Amino acid sequence: MKNSRRWRTLLPILFLAFLSNAPASSATDEPLRLVFIAYQNPDQLLDDVQPVIDYLEERLQRPVKYFAATDYAGVVEALRNQTADAGFMGPLQYVIAHQQAGVYPILGEVYNGSPTYVSRIFVRKDSGIGSLDALRGKTIAFVDPISSSGYLYPLDAFRSAGLIDRRDDADRFFGKIYFAGGDEQAMRAVLNKFVDAVGVGQYAFNLLRGNERNDVVSLADSRPIPSHGVFVRKSLDKASVKALQEALLALNEGENTGLLKHLYNVDGYVTADENTYNEVEELAREFEFIKE
Amino acid sequence: MRQEPHPKSSRSVVSIAILALLVTASTLSAHIVPPERLHEATESYRRLAFVLGLNPVDWELVGQDLERIAKYDPKPQPLIAALGELGADLASVDLDAAERRSTARRLFELATTSVARSVDARLTASRSALADHRAAAKQLYEARQLWAAFEPTVKATDPKSFLALGECWLALSSSLGSPGVLGRGAIAADVATFEREAIEVQAFLAANYGRDFSASKPGRLAPIPYSSPSVDLGAPLPAQLPPGSNINKQLPRPRQVLNIGSRGVDEGETNLIALGDMAFDSPFIFGEPARSLGLSCNTCHNKSITNPGLFVPGLSARPGGLDVSNAFFAPHANNGVFDHLDTPDLRGIRFTAPYGRNGRFGSLREFTRNVIVNEFNGAEPSPLLLDGVIAYMLEFDFLPNPDLGPDGTLLPATSESARRGEEIFHREFEGMGARSCASCHIPSDHFVDRKRHDIGSVAGAEPHSRDGALDTPTLLSAKSTPPYFHDGSLPTLRAVNEWFNESFALGLDATELADLTEYVETVASGTDAFEDTLYTLEAELEEFSFFLSTYEFLKTRQATTEIDQTLATIALEIQAHKWDVQDPSQMPVLDRLIDLAVAARSALAEGDVTAADRYIDTYRTLYLNNAEVLK
Repeated sequence: MKNSRRWRTLLPILFLAFLSNAPASSATDEPLRLVFIAYQNPDQLLDDVQPVIDYLEERLQRPVKYFAATDYAGVVEALRNQTADAGFMGPLQYVIAHQQAGVYPILGEVYNGSPTYVSRIFVRKDSGIGSLDALRGKTIAFVDPISSSGYLYPLDAFRSAGLIDRRDDADRFFGKIYFAGGDEQAMRAVLNKFVDAVGVGQYAFNLLRGNERNDVVSLADSRPIPSHGVFVRKSLDKASVKALQEALLALNEGENTGLLKHLYNVDGYVTADENTYNEVEELAREFEFIKE
Repeated sequence: MRQEPHPKSSRSVVSIAILALLVTASTLSAHIVPPERLHEATESYRRLAFVLGLNPVDWELVGQDLERIAKYDPKPQPLIAALGELGADLASVDLDAAERRSTARRLFELATTSVARSVDARLTASRSALADHRAAAKQLYEARQLWAAFEPTVKATDPKSFLALGECWLALSSSLGSPGVLGRGAIAADVATFEREAIEVQAFLAANYGRDFSASKPGRLAPIPYSSPSVDLGAPLPAQLPPGSNINKQLPRPRQVLNIGSRGVDEGETNLIALGDMAFDSPFIFGEPARSLGLSCNTCHNKSITNPGLFVPGLSARPGGLDVSNAFFAPHANNGVFDHLDTPDLRGIRFTAPYGRNGRFGSLREFTRNVIVNEFNGAEPSPLLLDGVIAYMLEFDFLPNPDLGPDGTLLPATSESARRGEEIFHREFEGMGARSCASCHIPSDHFVDRKRHDIGSVAGAEPHSRDGALDTPTLLSAKSTPPYFHDGSLPTLRAVNEWFNESFALGLDATELADLTEYVETVASGTDAFEDTLYTLEAELEEFSFFLSTYEFLKTRQATTEIDQTLATIALEIQAHKWDVQDPSQMPVLDRLIDLAVAARSALAEGDVTAADRYIDTYRTLYLNNAEVLK
């Protein structure tokens, strides 16, 4: 009798637990199509992500096709043209793509335990430059004209310091602005004294070797930036969205955690929605990357 | 459009091996230096410059690198033709000294011109593609990567051009504009700026690395921009190992067994041993280029244990060793022969004389002095320093092995297979002149006989040469240090047994070979061969406190050189390991420790012993107060 009562109590709990652990079903013969970004070596990328694809196919019980774009424009175009169902991109690209292509976020990436990161303004330690204000008339390299951590947020850091107000103020504040084309190129530009400063994502620092890191110093941090994320096309059915979201969230712990290293080496994922990027959108509007 | 790599990734976004090093290493083991990521042709060019300067030259490696360089050259015919002149079989190229030098120089000059042509072609292609951002960016990116072939040399010899050209590349990248996202945020290419900057780069290439390029500086083959008005021909060239080199210490870290440590002695109270520990870790007892490259005894013999990943293209036949009598580290002592040696494990070294793979040194002291002076170009070490290094090395113990009794026989708890193997090990074989394995690897004497034998594993210089005898190596602790044989040519202990079985017609069948291997592996095993953590900072800092414990002793001996080496080593080592710190808020403490070691060194150089004492006291106090959190 006692046992029976205990089971009556436990059953709903177990059932709930089962529900919460059970993968959302998107079983269908229709393939889910993912677009990854690979700047230099798409073939290598496609080999690297194969274990994740195998995992998704088993978990989702449907075929998963995937391909590599060589830049974010390719990712956005694939989502807009419905040649891909989901893809990986950064906050500013999303904000622009959202407005034009109806893409929306489902997951944010976690690095070092945080779903956000910052931009930093780096100078050489021996430059004698000790403040953002001291960069007036100096040269600076950003990463790319369409970059959150490598342009938009560094600009905002200068605005927060009261040094610029609009994007074109930067042209007058600095002696010269360059776009280095990548985080590492930017960091090496300041390390090698090609420029006086760089505005880059915080992890660009790790691209320098140990002895090189001693030669640069950060002057300022930007406000937190939502990490890159996973985005889906607007018309993707809800069951597929939910299933993909749950499949990737399930990598946060358990036996498949090791697969995260195949996904840009993230620590894990958190759920994300349009509100996650409200501040990015606001900044993008203020700096005229998007219109009202 | 190439904007915004993932936060913790670089351009090659999901290249796991590289990312694992770049990203994970940044928090786990930053002293593991990831390889520089270079374009294939750039990597080949830099390696070529290194290898062509060696004697002997690895012509097969040269051939591979020239082919890679030629792949990107729009007009590769001169390079391919020159390679063809070496003959079809690059393994058997036979040139006298003058021919070798002139051929090396000519190939280097052709390769330099070839890479310059490749950069030029991609810049032109990028210019032509400016209306198509994606195509133009791809060409420009590759041009920039190829230019990196020349950058270290230009930076060292012509810093003015280096800066000017660095700005050119930034301006080129910027002038590509941006396609935006779906057209939003698009910026048109700035054709005029692109053309102006491209012309400047191309003019530099044509003037310095065109058909007239001549590698005329003696000593090193390097792309020195001789035609540049701002070149400094007296500028020293940076010490560089070729791409593909690995001088990182191994992870997981092997467990070092120091006899004094096992007996509970505090190394901080053993001055001579602590001095030797410092010297073993110090690049400052070596000369150039090893010193600038940060090489120490510890690089190859990591904590006494063979570093299995050590590799230098052109000097290593395989990982785990190198030709130590080469033209790079100590040209004066180069023997002109490519004789790769598998790095010997130093555990139990006090029991294993003579020294050197061919046992050419009867004493450890002679052997060690030769390594410092003739293998790595160091100054003559002081008797005190040598005493220290020897005292430290004499503490290296084998891993404890619970399967062996004091006389080297297997204990009863071992497997039946191992015990059958022990019987085979003691069996006298006709093919070995009625001797057994145990005749040379004497179990009761640490599995050595302290003799040299020619077992036929060394190719003689000529027929009937008597130059193939090698020192009998111990089997103890050997399981975790493959490969085997003096040249590391056999990958496993099983392969060693198979080699003997075949070479000496021992007649062992598969079961007997398995039993013998089981026995040898049991003998070669030990307790806890590796440490169970990847975090090494805490242990390293404790070791540096041992180094510094010798300060007062060295002062009494007026050993100013050794004090200077100690302080310099501490500063360098903390600098190398500080990025491992798990709590970044502790970084200022580590920086302060470095500053104090540097300040003490400077004070002593100026003869201010009182100030040096104060800095060292402060260092010790700061370390002790923070030892618990510096991990």
